[in-house]
Amino acid sequence: MTPLLGSFTIWLSLFFCIFQFIITLKNKNIKYLHLCVNGLLISSLISFLLLMYSFIISDFSILNVFQNSHTTKPLFYKITAVWGNHEGSMLLWILVLTLFNFFIFKLIDNKNSSFILKTLLIQSSITIGFILFTIFTSNPFQKIFPTPENGLGFNPILQDPALAIHPPLLYIGYVGFSAAFSMSVATLTFKNHQNILWYSYMKPFVMAAWTFLTIGIALGSIWAYYELGWGGWWFWDPVENASFMPWLIGTALLHSLVIVEKRKSLQAWVLLLSILAFLLSVIGTFLVRSGILTSVHTFALDPSRGIYILAFTALLGGYSLILYGINSKKFFNNNYFNSFSREGSILINNIFMVVVCATVFLGTIYPLIIEALTSNKISVGEPYFNSTVIPIMIPAILIMGIAPLLNWGKEDKLKIFKKIAPTFLSTIGMTIFILIAYKPNSVLGVVGIILAFWIISNNLLILIKKNKNYSKGMIIAHLGIGLLILGITGSSTWQEEKILKMNINNQVQIKKYNIIFEKINEIKGSNYVALQGKFLVYDNNKKFITELRPENRFYPITNIFTTEASINTNLFRDLYMVLGEGNSEKGWVVKIYYNPLVMWIWLGALIIFLGGLISLSNNLKKLQVLSK
Amino acid sequence: MKNRLIIIPLIFFLLIILTFFYLLIIERNPSEIPSNLINKEAPYFKAESLFKDKEFISSEHFGNEVILVNFFATWCKPCLDEHEFIKGFSNKKKIKIIGINYKDNPKKTIKWLKKLGNPYSNIPLDKNGRIAIEWGVYGIPETYLINSKGFIKYRHVGPITKKIYKKINLLIDEIK
Amino acid sequence: MIKNKIIIIVFSLFFTCFFSYYSYSVEPDEILNNKEQETRARNISKNIRCLVCQNQSIDESNAPLAKDLRILIRDKIKSGKKDEEIYNFLRDRYGDFIFLKPTLSQNTFLLWFLPFIFLAIGLIIIFFNNKKSKN
Repeated sequence: MTPLLGSFTIWLSLFFCIFQFIITLKNKNIKYLHLCVNGLLISSLISFLLLMYSFIISDFSILNVFQNSHTTKPLFYKITAVWGNHEGSMLLWILVLTLFNFFIFKLIDNKNSSFILKTLLIQSSITIGFILFTIFTSNPFQKIFPTPENGLGFNPILQDPALAIHPPLLYIGYVGFSAAFSMSVATLTFKNHQNILWYSYMKPFVMAAWTFLTIGIALGSIWAYYELGWGGWWFWDPVENASFMPWLIGTALLHSLVIVEKRKSLQAWVLLLSILAFLLSVIGTFLVRSGILTSVHTFALDPSRGIYILAFTALLGGYSLILYGINSKKFFNNNYFNSFSREGSILINNIFMVVVCATVFLGTIYPLIIEALTSNKISVGEPYFNSTVIPIMIPAILIMGIAPLLNWGKEDKLKIFKKIAPTFLSTIGMTIFILIAYKPNSVLGVVGIILAFWIISNNLLILIKKNKNYSKGMIIAHLGIGLLILGITGSSTWQEEKILKMNINNQVQIKKYNIIFEKINEIKGSNYVALQGKFLVYDNNKKFITELRPENRFYPITNIFTTEASINTNLFRDLYMVLGEGNSEKGWVVKIYYNPLVMWIWLGALIIFLGGLISLSNNLKKLQVLSK
Repeated sequence: MKNRLIIIPLIFFLLIILTFFYLLIIERNPSEIPSNLINKEAPYFKAESLFKDKEFISSEHFGNEVILVNFFATWCKPCLDEHEFIKGFSNKKKIKIIGINYKDNPKKTIKWLKKLGNPYSNIPLDKNGRIAIEWGVYGIPETYLINSKGFIKYRHVGPITKKIYKKINLLIDEIK
Repeated sequence: MIKNKIIIIVFSLFFTCFFSYYSYSVEPDEILNNKEQETRARNISKNIRCLVCQNQSIDESNAPLAKDLRILIRDKIKSGKKDEEIYNFLRDRYGDFIFLKPTLSQNTFLLWFLPFIFLAIGLIIIFFNNKKSKN
């Protein structure tokens, strides 16, 4: 029953979507439109909930549930498994598309109706494409005969809260840019665009998408760090890059929208960026799901799906870029900015963000291009991205410190020096202090410290001045970035690692900590047995700090071994311990990391998220004023 | 001038789409790495041989006739899956196969071959995996086709399937 | 079902990479006594891609091949080989794909220079913009 109903609701949402397409194109009856938008949202919500229900009751007659769930899975993870697979995640894509479709519709009033109708036309076209893709290649309600006893979805490594929540947040990000895309294309098709405040409507959507994309990416990294056992959190994996690129363009877009609002300039640029942001989301989807690359993140490899997504991308991108090529001329104006001004520095930021995005894109697809042209396989890994992205980011971040302090219009260069004098001095002061107290062993570490304190002190200055002209959300988000850089610098520059064999009662010294191996326990969990090492951590004053209990687990039902790192976290450092192989005679392999300031990476990201939310609520308030 | 500038991203976009399309159409395994030893001489090595007293010296066996080299182990399940095809190469195609036993227990290997049949003319033991590294092996089972001059002409990573079996048979005919 | 087979292959790859209980990346018995040599070994390993999982370096990977390569690199360092000789040894057998940092060659020329060309174009635009604003 459920699978039939599920498939039916997907077809129903297709019907509403096509109906919306026709109405926004021809009829333009608002009442019918209201029906479509709501019908579309409700039917896609029901299909999503039906899949969730099937997971909750473990209905293994449905292929998707069989492949991704198991009776021993805790309820929370049964629910989150819905979007942890390709087909289910497509339902989530569609749900978020219809949700944003609904929010776009909510904006409609007497003044903007033609603009909103056009936007909804584009939005429904995109949604039709995704629903068709789901129905014909990725139906989550496909059945399996005979009904299996139990499922395959028992991977304990995927049962982690951060991993479980990050897809929906990421999708609000990726898919949210669709609204900006639709508005951009709609604006480009208008003959007389002067009266449409398209950028004011676009801003909250871009803000929402960017904010959630930020926290989505951060949660993925948090999972990698805490769960995977080698203390890393970003690998420049193609799928990670696929989420980073829309984020970079989104950052540029966010900032240049400010200029469009204030100065009515850069309109053509913003229209292009909003097309690119969503296009990158779709290309990212293609890279992850087509089977063109291998990555631990990719979904099931299927070239036939890949061809469909590629065709859709080609249509979407081709149409929007050609439209842009033809119609963007009327949005150009001859406003030029002095670099020493608020708008000038925002433009500089934009250029750096786009250059970094282009570099990440180049590095990600380059192996594919070389393979197509020469049949040789080369690899582009972490060292490439670190060598190219970091040097380009450094000046961008330096400018990010000063930019909010600059005035709109031309700024007197002398005044700038006056403004930044206190923060410049405090940054140098903090850096010297760190150099003396902590002795960094790399130039990059020093650079990171300078950048972090530069951002933090400049934004603290603004906060202290309590100048009402500044957006609170912006300051908080910028502060978040400063803290993020601090965390990244600390954890990479001052990391210490010890790998050794320890017997019971042995001790090891790492930084100011003395760690004693007390004993080995055999413990039993709900669905696993484990060997757990008990380690006692003392500081130099023989004061007891904490216990560390790393485990090696064995899940008998599914024959899987996992390592569970034991992590003691505080604001200053993480003590991270992994237990290896061994026995009581020869001793046990133990790996210990001292990772300073790691917590600030996550706190920084969280603060950026909060800043984004604050800005979002301000944008929404402005929008309400607009409609009156 | 600005118009021309806008065409550039469009052209790049189309080129990238075409590249992706091409890669999807041709049948390729994205995680498979092409061997760097194709058309190069088979690496020289010496090793203890499983059933023979004499040490296995590769130069004595390569460069005389077309042969296959198959890296295998008893603990590797795909090796078990492909064994029928390896026997097929030996029995039906009548081609000499060197089976390099990778990081295995010789006693277990003897048992394994006794139970499943031994298609190999010689079984050098690669106890520490260094011979495999010389050949650029990264995922056993791996099968190499070597021509009568001792040059590697083809490598397959992973178990031999029906398709690959047919392909290798055709290749053998070609180079003979 | 082909889809099932593909899923199983992906899962087993996933499992091998994250659940292998053979080793836990660099092990104590691998570590060389000479600190300088060990640092060299770690730095070289960090640039070599683990071909089993393909998303980690052999320094981080649990895979058996990664361990073998780590030991091989250390053996070569102990016997006096230079870094370049070790890289060449690996490239001859595994091809360019084994390096995480792409080498500078005819093929990768654009890869390395384009980012800085992009940056230069960007800076030219800024400069141009700035100049025009003064008029």
